[in-house]
Amino acid sequence: MDLFDEDVGNISQPSPIALVEAKRERRQPRNQSKPASHEGNAKWLHAHYDPYSTLYTFSSCIALADLHGDGDNKLIIANLGTGKYDMKLKVYKGTTLMTENTIIDLPTAVCTFFMDTHDPRTPAVAVASGPYIYVYKNLRPYFKFTLPPLDVNPVEQDLWNQAKEDKIDVQVLKEMLESLRADGSEGTLTVRSLRFLMLDPEDMPTFANLHKHSPLKRQTVITCMTTLKKSHSEEDAISCLVIGTESKDIYILDPEAFTVLTKMVLPSVPVFLDVTGLYDVEFRIVVSCRNGNIYSLKKGSKAPKYSIELSSQPVGLQRMGKNVVVGCMDQTLQCYTTKGKRLWVLTLPANVMTMELMDYKSRGFKAIMVALDNCEVHVYNEKYLVNTIKTEDIVTGMKFGRFGREDGALVMTTKGGGLIVKILKRNSVFEEKDSRPGPPAAQNQKLNIPKKTKLFVDQTMRERENAVTMHRMFQRDLYRLRLDAARSYVKALETSMTPMSADPLEPLKLSATVNGIGPSFKLTVNLQNTSSATPSINLLITFQYDEKLYQLQRSSIKVPLLVPGLNYAFQTLVECISDKAIADTIKVFVLRKGKSMPIITGNINMPVSEAQVVV
Amino acid sequence: MGFFDTLARWLGMKKKEVNVICVGLDNSGKTTIINQLKPQNAQQSDIVPTIGFTVEKFASASLSFTVFDMSGQGRYRNLWEHYYKDAQAIIFVIDSSDKLRMVVAKDELEQLLNNQDILSKRIPILFYANKMDMKESLSAVKVSQMMGLETIKDKPWHICASNAITGEGLPEGVEWVTDQIRSMKK
Ligand SMILES: Nc1nc2c(ncn2[C@@H]2O[C@H](COP(=O)(O)OP(=O)(O)OP(=O)(O)O)[C@@H](O)[C@H]2O)c(=O)[nH]1
Ligand SMILES: [Mg+2]
Repeated sequence: MDLFDEDVGNISQPSPIALVEAKRERRQPRNQSKPASHEGNAKWLHAHYDPYSTLYTFSSCIALADLHGDGDNKLIIANLGTGKYDMKLKVYKGTTLMTENTIIDLPTAVCTFFMDTHDPRTPAVAVASGPYIYVYKNLRPYFKFTLPPLDVNPVEQDLWNQAKEDKIDVQVLKEMLESLRADGSEGTLTVRSLRFLMLDPEDMPTFANLHKHSPLKRQTVITCMTTLKKSHSEEDAISCLVIGTESKDIYILDPEAFTVLTKMVLPSVPVFLDVTGLYDVEFRIVVSCRNGNIYSLKKGSKAPKYSIELSSQPVGLQRMGKNVVVGCMDQTLQCYTTKGKRLWVLTLPANVMTMELMDYKSRGFKAIMVALDNCEVHVYNEKYLVNTIKTEDIVTGMKFGRFGREDGALVMTTKGGGLIVKILKRNSVFEEKDSRPGPPAAQNQKLNIPKKTKLFVDQTMRERENAVTMHRMFQRDLYRLRLDAARSYVKALETSMTPMSADPLEPLKLSATVNGIGPSFKLTVNLQNTSSATPSINLLITFQYDEKLYQLQRSSIKVPLLVPGLNYAFQTLVECISDKAIADTIKVFVLRKGKSMPIITGNINMPVSEAQVVV
Repeated sequence: MGFFDTLARWLGMKKKEVNVICVGLDNSGKTTIINQLKPQNAQQSDIVPTIGFTVEKFASASLSFTVFDMSGQGRYRNLWEHYYKDAQAIIFVIDSSDKLRMVVAKDELEQLLNNQDILSKRIPILFYANKMDMKESLSAVKVSQMMGLETIKDKPWHICASNAITGEGLPEGVEWVTDQIRSMKK
């Protein structure tokens, strides 16, 4: 029965509104994180910003190289344009556009590499686009490499052969191809068949007649490209091209003959490549794929050995020494060893747009730059944020390196088509320490925790050995507690000791308040008939109290007929006759005439009375 | 300087000696300019990027210059400040065709002007907006604007466009420096 005292006690407590307010106060708004200071920009000189350069490109399509061997590095950008127009290979000398070459299809990557040992030592530019690599020397088209064709589905081949010999008409061809597409081999169909199926029915015969005589070829497209030094590691040594394709392959190409030196197979489509080492000695390719996994391949391996499963799709991949740093779509920056062990994870304040390695060789400083969609570029040394650059627009493409004659240049292209160039100040240093807001470094310090005592060890042993018994004991006690609670509840219901009537024939609700500071109090009992139609009659209110403490003006109140729904208030004065500062509870009973068992009971916690003031 | 020096100079036999420091970013043409100012027979035919610094001498009508030709490469720029103390004039060379690095030149100039040895001194600064012959080069006015030269209030300065290969514009600058130094000595 004690269980319910508290509930009833609420009657004399402050109104619930006050409680709600107190709760609301506790739920204070979280401190808004401090806006990042502009201090970071002080490390960089603002060299150039043209919001209208109409550049639409990504980090993989930006390169910096000394194309003329005059010590003046040019900026090479493969512009994606609108995807239909203005697809161009643009070369900037300083910030002025020097040359433009039209690209036929959307470019996916740009690399500069040395393909021969001729003098002057000028690098070639490779542009990956569709199934081709266009190689430019001295900014003139030099060579076009085409990916090796893939096997054509024999059924598809057969269909087109029959169409050629007019054995089947266009309608049958369409239906057969459609069924081929439907049974899951869409990915293995040729571009011709796919294009054919996309056409309106009236255009199909013309298309089929036009193309059916040429041999059927299936080609894949390049998704990513990078370079790998062949046998020497000098800056101007000959490099192989490493390409990833939509057909889940990786090819390594010979730079002179443009033959495939090595082919590797991946479980998914490669998206970002990172290659280190020398082709002739030992190399490692770290590749992140569209299935959200990162694979690591070594010289001689035909398929990946290690795999890292990411929590979310990667949007950038960079190598820092022996570790791999990836930015993911869930706003995290994660670092792994190449063997797949996770070293750390950082949560970023916004979505990652692109990533770049800041390799400042003259200072021996390496860091990871991460462009975010809140117009900031963050520079991370290990997991510490060492610099924040505010930009005028969201950065989508980024390259750090030598531009013009400046070693520490950062070239950025923006979402709105702008071009930003920042130059690292000669004297700026990046503090290695953590400037990230959050817990201070001291918190990461290991505490000197004392050794485990014998008692502790004994206890642990005992707990381990007797786990089952302990659990049983706990369960038994819990059931007992529940049984006790249920019993008390039933008893309370039977004796009607609650302010709500449990009897469906007597639907009543009771509440009471105490006013005054004493020694006289006014006690108000509110009674309500909660039934919908039946009025309550023949009721009485009576009180039980300590007669040594209190004196009631009316110890019994006759209740008139209670109309359903209305609230009736009955009042009586209570006099505290004790001068000791003590208080007690007064019980209120609602009774039916002629019955000794109360219908409902209420406990009123009386406040401590003030002493009487004699004037 | 003893009595004989003064006498000799007065007689036009020996010129007054001045120390000048020549700074500016790498590839701006400092060495080429100084080479052009030297007497014909002392000129070098091929100019390579300076390592550290070199000391050169040339003369104008009334002064004999000793020039510290500093290297402009990033890793040597911290050498500049060691020679500010003894310098009586500064020649700051700017490649007016290198728009990209104008901010770097400006940053270096600011560091120079805030140096303890320069701050308090009323030292004349001559700017050469060099490589005026290149097709993408900016005018001297534009260069002075981008470098923020108008903010230099407590030192005499002068900018002239130049072509170090032909020598065009160089004498004008040297004359200005000579005037400045002579007016200061008085
Ligand atoms: N077109 C043109 N070229 C110039 C001019 N002045 C210098 N050059 C060229 O610029 C290049 C660099 O000249 P330097 O005199 O070595 O430059 P610097 O300032 O001494 O460079 P550091 O010694 O590395 O600091 C050389 O190839 C010069 O021929 C000029 O007025 N016009
Ligand atoms: Mg020089």
